Amino acid sequence: MALPNQQTVDYPSFKLVIVGDGGTGKTTFVKRHLTGEFEKKYEPTIGVEVHPLDFFTNCGKIRFYCWDTAGQEKFGGLRDGYYIHGQCAIIMFDVTARLTYKNVPTWHRDLCRVCENIPIVLCGNKVDVKNRQVKAKQVTFHRKKNLQYYEISAKSNYNFEKPFLYLARKLAGDTNLHFVESPALAPPEVQIDLAAQQQHEAELLAAASQPLPDDDDDQFE
Amino acid sequence: MSSADPEHREEEEAPAVGDDEDTGAHVAPIVKLEEVAVTTGEEDEDAILDLKSKLYRFDKDGNQWKERGAGTVKFLKHKATGKVRLLMRQSKTLKICANHLILPTMSVQEHAGNEKSCVWHARDFADGELKDELFCIRFPSIENCKSFMETFQEVAESQKAEDEKESADAAGLIEKLSVEEKADAEKKDEEKSEDKTVEKESASGKESKAVEDKKAEEPASSA
Repeated sequence: MALPNQQTVDYPSFKLVIVGDGGTGKTTFVKRHLTGEFEKKYEPTIGVEVHPLDFFTNCGKIRFYCWDTAGQEKFGGLRDGYYIHGQCAIIMFDVTARLTYKNVPTWHRDLCRVCENIPIVLCGNKVDVKNRQVKAKQVTFHRKKNLQYYEISAKSNYNFEKPFLYLARKLAGDTNLHFVESPALAPPEVQIDLAAQQQHEAELLAAASQPLPDDDDDQFE
Repeated sequence: MSSADPEHREEEEAPAVGDDEDTGAHVAPIVKLEEVAVTTGEEDEDAILDLKSKLYRFDKDGNQWKERGAGTVKFLKHKATGKVRLLMRQSKTLKICANHLILPTMSVQEHAGNEKSCVWHARDFADGELKDELFCIRFPSIENCKSFMETFQEVAESQKAEDEKESADAAGLIEKLSVEEKADAEKKDEEKSEDKTVEKESASGKESKAVEDKKAEEPASSA
């Protein structure tokens, strides 16, 4: 099941195509999973960026190759050429921008022309924002086209694992599949270097005065 | 794909989707996965602290803190070795954010301007390779932050005590070895009492060797 331009791994892997208007949070969502960071600055994706994303499940390790595509037409590159051999998909829209939901049918149509009968998750992102434009009740496209729908927030991590869990369950045909702990290897012994330690302490002192990137009143889940 | 469903034509009437409801199409599975035994890596450890928190790592290039993950931080003490490590997992995905030993030389200090946060340096093994990291951790409350800092310092102190004990044991062992060598030397001296010249040379050789052994052992002792 090896796909072009992707290294082969000895556990199941899937090509996941991520589409949606520019600025809806596709890249931010993927990056949140990859590094834990929340990227505030908007930088349009050009063409496609492919990131391997691993999860440990009760049925072993799995990998999604996340094909994070350009949302802006002018950076579309090969456009729907990136969808070829897609095995699952996410369509992202922004609940604070009505137009991005209106464009979902177009993304879905283009996607289904290339990928027939694959599991697709519709994601309404940025639900942490108070003044949303698209209410949950107004989202109905998924019922018409048999997609799954999740309200998510890449910022607050609300439901951020749900799209991947849903897709994994569909691909495996197992509704009981769930994420489990990644194995925590025992850290090796380290030799103490006094000179390096002093440098770290100086760096730490400087770093301690830098502000944290998010607000103190963020919710803890 | 099915055509438009008349029941859902009126948008206002559509109910909000429940998390457990599956509105997706039926698709044939493309892999067959068998259930496997889960190995967390924590089986031989006892948790001595377990708190919700949010972790950051310092990005030196950008001179700024970056989020690493939100979830649960634990101090885990190994049942056999007594060594303690810090392990933090992200909520939901249960991926590892931080994984490092608490060493005697480590210390934790407050983050400036935030009573619920503290910072430390560690050689982290979260990604399966050792990497120098400056970490900051934030807690929902000041009390939890204090609890973390106190436990961190207590663990570091206790690891220091254990290290010192190991050093003392090693020193004792070296002393014992030296005594044994001396006894052996004396015994050989008796056996060769008739030849004074040979005896003197042998004794000198043994003493040199003993001194060399001690010098070789000293760095290990001080480590």
